Amino acid sequence: MMEAYLSGIGWVTGGGFGWGSQGGDCSFPELPLPALSRKDVFPEPNQRFGRMSDYAKLGLAALAFALRDAGLEGWSVKRSIGVVASTRLGCLATDLEYHRTVQLQGGGLASPNLFAYTLANCFLGDAAIQFGLTGSSVALNETGEDGLGSLRVALEEIALGEAETMLAGVCDLPVPEACAGLVALKPGAAFLVLSQAPLAGCSEYGKVALADGGSVLFNGSPCGDLEGLIKSALAGRRAG
Amino acid sequence: MIEVCISQAQAVTGLGPDLESLWQGVLAGRSAIRPLTRFATGRYLSGNASWIEGLEPVGGRSRINPLLAQLAEGFGPLPDGCSLITASTKGSVDAMERLQAGLECDPTEIPIAGLLHRIATRFGIDNPGININAACASSTIAVARGASLIAAGKADAVLVVCLDLVSEFVFSGFSALQALSPGVCRPFDRHRDGLTLGEGAAALLLMSRERAAREGRPELGIVAGWGAANDATHITAPARDACGLIQSVRQALVRAGIEPGQIAAVSAHGTATPYNDQMELTAFRALFGECNLPVHSVKGSIGHTLGAAGGIEIALGLRCLEAGIMPPTVGLQEPEEAGVGLVSASPQPIRGSYLLSTNSGFGGVNAALILRRGAL
Repeated sequence: MMEAYLSGIGWVTGGGFGWGSQGGDCSFPELPLPALSRKDVFPEPNQRFGRMSDYAKLGLAALAFALRDAGLEGWSVKRSIGVVASTRLGCLATDLEYHRTVQLQGGGLASPNLFAYTLANCFLGDAAIQFGLTGSSVALNETGEDGLGSLRVALEEIALGEAETMLAGVCDLPVPEACAGLVALKPGAAFLVLSQAPLAGCSEYGKVALADGGSVLFNGSPCGDLEGLIKSALAGRRAG
Repeated sequence: MIEVCISQAQAVTGLGPDLESLWQGVLAGRSAIRPLTRFATGRYLSGNASWIEGLEPVGGRSRINPLLAQLAEGFGPLPDGCSLITASTKGSVDAMERLQAGLECDPTEIPIAGLLHRIATRFGIDNPGININAACASSTIAVARGASLIAAGKADAVLVVCLDLVSEFVFSGFSALQALSPGVCRPFDRHRDGLTLGEGAAALLLMSRERAAREGRPELGIVAGWGAANDATHITAPARDACGLIQSVRQALVRAGIEPGQIAAVSAHGTATPYNDQMELTAFRALFGECNLPVHSVKGSIGHTLGAAGGIEIALGLRCLEAGIMPPTVGLQEPEEAGVGLVSASPQPIRGSYLLSTNSGFGGVNAALILRRGAL
């Protein structure tokens, strides 16, 4: 059994955005995602945010909220914190938008700014810069629909000694119209802060564990998907 | 910790359909970089790339399919219960291009999940596993993850498959970023002027040494150490002080239990962009001081193969260790000042057992892997 402490939860979904200690629920309803402004995410001016793709804004915001919830948003020295983000379609919406600029005038008007956001891991670089995260940062594509793939990898990384603290979660925009029906996914982003040991000055939600058969458990109870795990963690804190 | 070996390696590149043709090609100083005919390049900074013959989109399907078929040809048999990890940045990006252009295509090829299923099916693996996307360090991190799982006893056989295509999508983007060389890339050269794109694929079978020996499989090399770190500095440019790459290599050295002086050769990322190569040389001098160990970049021979780069370079690194030779860095004419004594346009002997392989990418990603000569 591999396990880690859960110390922070942040999300942006069709139901709104938030983080655990703020109260509220995290669910993934089939509603449009909120249009995030810089002020929704960062109290201070942030020159990059407005130029980011929607996919990058979505992921970065959920990461920011999770770090805020764990008391890790502020920093003065870079930290060896890793990030694993599961995504079904990654930056496909940005890819389509960028490619439309390629189709103009034989590629002569291709947008360099959009191209910089045509990698599924692009927002992890923004997060690393914004929050001083120097651990390994990767995006994962998987075939499963439970949203737990990144948690499995993060729990393994912690257990194998590759990292002490990891952010793990999901990030997906709605399926673009041109690709309707290709995959079933729940649009939105949610990230958890997982750590090998309790974080100083932070109260934990509980423990997340990976059983030998691949099941993910929260405080010993199996979780069917990421949304269910987050609901259990938030409910547990309210009850406690 | 359980020791991890690579018991089979294959690569498909512009130099040919297998690892041997890559090895012979780079050793002879050949380059597969040549004019592209796949799409019009008139509005781009370059008209050259390293591309693979025979990757035609039959029936409107992605060129990734014939690439995968070439890669899988003769590979295996795989051990029972083998896991799969893939590494690709853009997968079947040409399927998306065809969809946008209104051409015949199979839209189910667009999500990476579709590629995962096809790779698993092609290699006869039940579970499609995961694809790792960490820009140009994707496959190095994929191999590191496979090695980590085996070392901890969570798996005893992992197949890592890495692949990426030359597409107008990516070509136009690097051109827009002013990152393409107008001619042919010149890694670590004082007058380097940008990268040249390439396409390719690699397959690496990682196993516990114990299981490989028990099944009578060859031991091409040992995966002795690995590390990954983020610069946390810039989205598309590396940190000038090389902090992330240095941290990655130090992690790999600790994992391998060796000192920097035991590294006998380096397979560098060496993209031939001004910033990347300078950053790498800064890292190597910080790590190895004035020790002039051979440093090689394969990009002048096969271009920058993006998410496949690390896997191809690890496969090539195994051959380098076996032969005790680092190939010439094709395109190099006058070494960058910090690279004098490290990089060479001639083959260099490897005097030791450990080879370091490094890659870096967009998003500040860095990864390092240390290979040790195997028993064969």
